[in-house]
Amino acid sequence: MPLEGPRDSSIAIVGDGFGSAIVFATAVYLGFRPDQVTIYGTNDNPVNTYQQFAFNLGQTVLRSESESHFLPADWPTFAQLECWSRGSPSPMFRSIGRKYNPGVPDILAEVTVVARRLGWNDNRFPRHVGWLQREHRPSPHFLLFDEEANYIGRAKHVMLAMGHGPLSFPPLLAKAREDPPTGDRIVQAYEPKVYAPDGRYVVIGAGIASVNEWANALDVGAKVISLLRNPAPDEQDLNTPRCLFEARGIDVFQGLPFEQRIAFLGKILKGTTPKRRGWAARVQRGVAEGRFEQIIGEIDRLEPGPAGLRIHITSRHGPDPGWLDVTGVISGTGFVKSVLTVPLLRRLVEHYNVPVEEGRLKLRTNCGIPGLDMAVSRLCMMGIFANTVIPHGDTIAGLKYIGRRFAVDCARAERVRQRSFFARLGMQLSLAGESARAMKTVRRMEQLA
Amino acid sequence: MCPTTLGRVQTRVAILIGPALFGLLLTLLTGNVGFIVTIGVYLLMGVALDLTLYTLVIRWQPPWLTFVLGVGEFVILAVLLNILQVPLTFPQAALFYWVSWILATLTRIIVLPLVSLAWLENGGEFRETGWSIPPALEPVPLIAQVEEERPYGALVREFSTVREIPEEIRNLPSPSGVRRIPTGPPPD
Repeated sequence: MPLEGPRDSSIAIVGDGFGSAIVFATAVYLGFRPDQVTIYGTNDNPVNTYQQFAFNLGQTVLRSESESHFLPADWPTFAQLECWSRGSPSPMFRSIGRKYNPGVPDILAEVTVVARRLGWNDNRFPRHVGWLQREHRPSPHFLLFDEEANYIGRAKHVMLAMGHGPLSFPPLLAKAREDPPTGDRIVQAYEPKVYAPDGRYVVIGAGIASVNEWANALDVGAKVISLLRNPAPDEQDLNTPRCLFEARGIDVFQGLPFEQRIAFLGKILKGTTPKRRGWAARVQRGVAEGRFEQIIGEIDRLEPGPAGLRIHITSRHGPDPGWLDVTGVISGTGFVKSVLTVPLLRRLVEHYNVPVEEGRLKLRTNCGIPGLDMAVSRLCMMGIFANTVIPHGDTIAGLKYIGRRFAVDCARAERVRQRSFFARLGMQLSLAGESARAMKTVRRMEQLA
Repeated sequence: MCPTTLGRVQTRVAILIGPALFGLLLTLLTGNVGFIVTIGVYLLMGVALDLTLYTLVIRWQPPWLTFVLGVGEFVILAVLLNILQVPLTFPQAALFYWVSWILATLTRIIVLPLVSLAWLENGGEFRETGWSIPPALEPVPLIAQVEEERPYGALVREFSTVREIPEEIRNLPSPSGVRRIPTGPPPD
C-alpha cells in the first residue's frame, strides 16, 4: 500500500519509473532504510510507463546488454540469471559473444521483484510533484508540493527521475496531427497503432523505434518506405558508443565544454541503427518481396488523399520522390528533449534562474541542478535530461551510473553506515534468486542478434 | 568493458590475491616454492602486458576475449617458467595456472562488483563511487558515413500520386490506435 500522508525523508525521488527503482534499490543496498526514501508518482509499479511504450513499439527484447539489470550490484547479470532460471547455457554463450539482449518480460519480472522485495510501493506517495522549494533553515532541505500546491513532504536530497518529455514530431506532422482529416493518419512509434495488411506506410527515422516499426508493418504484410533525413546512419548496437558507457568515455565527455558536449550528442544520437538478425531478415524479405524501400528526404507538404494521406517528399541527396499516396506516416522521432516541456523543470528554470541552453539544463558535472544543488543537500537529475553530463543518461546503464553516484553522495552526506560485504552479498543473492524464479514463469523471448 | 590502464593493473592485482593465497598454501603444504613463484611471475608478466600491449591494442574488451587472453598468457607464462627454471613440471604448472585462472575469473565476475559498486563502470579501477574528474583527453572521433546517390525503387513509384490508387487500399483504417475517427453516422 502506498503512503497516505506526507512525511520527511532523507531522499525523495520525483518520478515512478525505472530510475526511481534504481535509486531506491541502490540506496537500500548502501544502507538506507526503505522508509528513509520516498518515491513520488501515481504508478503502483515502476515498470508501468516502460511496459506501455514497449507494447506500443512491439518490442520483445531490449537493446541493452546483459549488464543492464536492476539488481543493485553488477553481478549476477541477466544472462547469468536466465541461465540459472531456465537451466540453459545459451544466454551465457550469447553474452560472451555480446549477442545477448534481455527479453522485455524478463526485465519487467526482475524490476517487479526488486521493487516488491524492497518495498518500493510501500514508500511511494501517490502524487505528482509540481513544485520544489529550497529551504536553508534549520539545515538545507527541500519542500515538495503537488500540482495543486498541496504540501506533500520534505526531503534532504531530491533526485529528479521524470523520464522523457512529450513525444516529438517534425513540425509539419505536429501541425497535421491537430487537423481532423489527417490527424489519425500520423502516429508516433511509441503510440498504440494498427497496421493494415495491404497498407502503405512511411516510417520516419532510423533509430530502434523506427526499425521496430519497419518489422511490425512488414510482419502484417504491409508495404513500408523508410524515410531518412540523412544518408545512412552509423550502425551501432547500443545507442551511444560502447566506451561512453564507462569511465574512459565519460571522463573525456565531461572534459568538453558544454557547447561541444551538445554538438557531440547531436552527432551520436542523430540516428544509430542496431544490426539485429531478426530485423535484418525481415527487412531483407521485405526488400525481396518489393515491400520495403529506403529513401532520403523530408516531408514538406501533406494533405488528405484517397489512400488516407498525400505527402510530398523533397530530398537534398537526389531527385525528389514527389507526391506519394500513403495509408499513414509513422514517426520514430523519439521524445522532445527540451527541459522546458516538463512543467516542474520549467517552473524551476523560471523561478530559480537555472541556466538553460538550447533546451538543455547546464547541469553540474555531478548532474546537480546549478544554484540549488549542494553537497549536503543534493538536487540531481537523471535520464535523458542528464545526457549533457552522462551521454547515455537515458539508458538503463546510464540510470545506474547516475543513480549509484547520487545514492553514494547521499549516504556520505547522511553518514549512513554501509552494509557489510556479506550483508550486500546476501541481499544480492536473495534478490537474484527471486528474480530467477520470477523469470521462469514468464515467456522466453527470441533473441534477435 | 573498456578498461583503463590503471583499471587493468588494479584489477589484475585484486584478482590474483586469491590465487596467491592458494599458491602460498600449496607451497607450505608441499615445500615447493614453484607455486608461489609462478603466481609472482604471472603477476609481473600480466602487469607488463597490461601496461604495454593490452592498453595499446584493446580498447573495448568483450567477455570472450578474456578467455583468449588467458590462453595467450598461459603460453607466455609456460615459456617464462621454463627460462627461469621454476621447479614445477609442465602438468603441475598447467593445472595450477588454470585453477588460478578460474579462481581469478570468479573473483572478477562475482566478488569485485560487490566490493566496489562502480568497479565495472570505472573501467576496472577501484575509484570511490563518485563523479568523473575531467582529464584533458582526446575527444572520441566520429566519422560520418555517406552513401552514394541511388535511384528510387519500385515502391516509391508505386506510392507515387501519378499512379491510380488500387481500390483495395482506398478505405484502409488509419494506423492510430488512440485517435481513431468515428466512421458511422453521428448520434441523434
